[in-house]
Amino acid sequence: MIAALVLVSYAAVMGTMGAATLTRSSWTTRAPRLGIALWQAASVSTLSAAVLAALTFALRLSVLNADVAALLHTCLTNVRTGYATPGGSVTTTLGLAAAVLITGRATWCVLDAVVRQRRELARQLQVVGVLARRDPERGFLVVPHETATAFCLAGRGDGVVLTTAALAVLRPEELTAVVAHERAHLRGRHHLLVAASHGLARAFPGVLVFAEAEKRIAELIEMAADDAARQRSHPAALAHALLAVTSGPTPRAALAAANRSVEVRVLRLLSPFAPLGSGQRLLITAVLTLLLATPIAIAAAPAILATQADYCLIGRAL
Amino acid sequence: MRGFGELEAVVMDRIWSLESAATVREVLDDLGNERPLAYTTVMTVMENLRRKGFLVRALDGRAYRYRPAKARSEYAAELMGEALANSGDRTGALLGLVQHMTPADVASLRTALEAASRERRMRR
Repeated sequence: MIAALVLVSYAAVMGTMGAATLTRSSWTTRAPRLGIALWQAASVSTLSAAVLAALTFALRLSVLNADVAALLHTCLTNVRTGYATPGGSVTTTLGLAAAVLITGRATWCVLDAVVRQRRELARQLQVVGVLARRDPERGFLVVPHETATAFCLAGRGDGVVLTTAALAVLRPEELTAVVAHERAHLRGRHHLLVAASHGLARAFPGVLVFAEAEKRIAELIEMAADDAARQRSHPAALAHALLAVTSGPTPRAALAAANRSVEVRVLRLLSPFAPLGSGQRLLITAVLTLLLATPIAIAAAPAILATQADYCLIGRAL
Repeated sequence: MRGFGELEAVVMDRIWSLESAATVREVLDDLGNERPLAYTTVMTVMENLRRKGFLVRALDGRAYRYRPAKARSEYAAELMGEALANSGDRTGALLGLVQHMTPADVASLRTALEAASRERRMRR
């Protein structure tokens, strides 16, 4: 029972304050891929804590029979006492139901997001297929349109797409940078990251960690792709390309709230930032591992503690 | 089926340029000099396009006439609409280079860029 309560608290804290802390940390822009991994770990950690809480709550005492105890080389009563939850079969049913609901909801929403995205991609690729012509030397597709933009579509026959307006306004080095940026999205399968985080956010609306993860991952993949482009061209080239592309006629759909992320990206490209040292990376990786391991550790704690006891409780089963 | 991708683009392009519903024969003739194709090939491609929803056909006498379901510009506009959309229930299928900004944002970004380049030039 204590394990269940601790897990619930962990999930609650991680889901809210943990997310807020991660949002404030500035190192993510210096190591976007690590930042993405950490946001995913935070999401998985919160989710698994919730599911494990429900499961430990539901742990039927009769499941913990002599075989389990023998496995742990411990006394059965100790193990039972560790997990005991008052309420009998009612709490067990509730706990199991909660575990199934949470897992089911998460799985369903993530799969749904991935499937919808695939369908959308297939449709868009089809349209691009008949609209676009392929640039023979550089391999990307060109669509006739008066707004300069570039994007990529993952899937069968995937590719980088530019508009004729973009080709007209971008200089050669800027073009190289843009294509490298889009290719990085394709190589890194970033669309899947977007789909997964979107699915979780939709599954549990209002939970801060999932909502923030969706937003931050979307921003960080752009920075990760920017970094990949830097290996092929000067960062200023991509910065100028970003600006050239945004200066076209603003389409009606884009009149949303002010979007700071492009400014952040441009400034990030122009001012040199120190990449994370290996010590810092190690620390972050350790935190990541800790995030994933903690819920499991808490869930297993009563059983582990029971093995440590050098006495055996004599008492009636609860 | 897989090898037809490029052909589909070519045939669609022709039908859009012809600006009127065309039979398989007419498209074949239009393509004729540049591309030696079999009648059955063109017919298969046009049928594929119809199944995918790009062409609509109507019986005219004994032959089918095919016309585009939408104008080329309409497809382009739809695609670009999705590419440039800032928010909404996007599936994240399409990863655009940049979220488009309001003119005010663009102006402030330009200022930032110019300031940064000035700073770099002074440091040299």
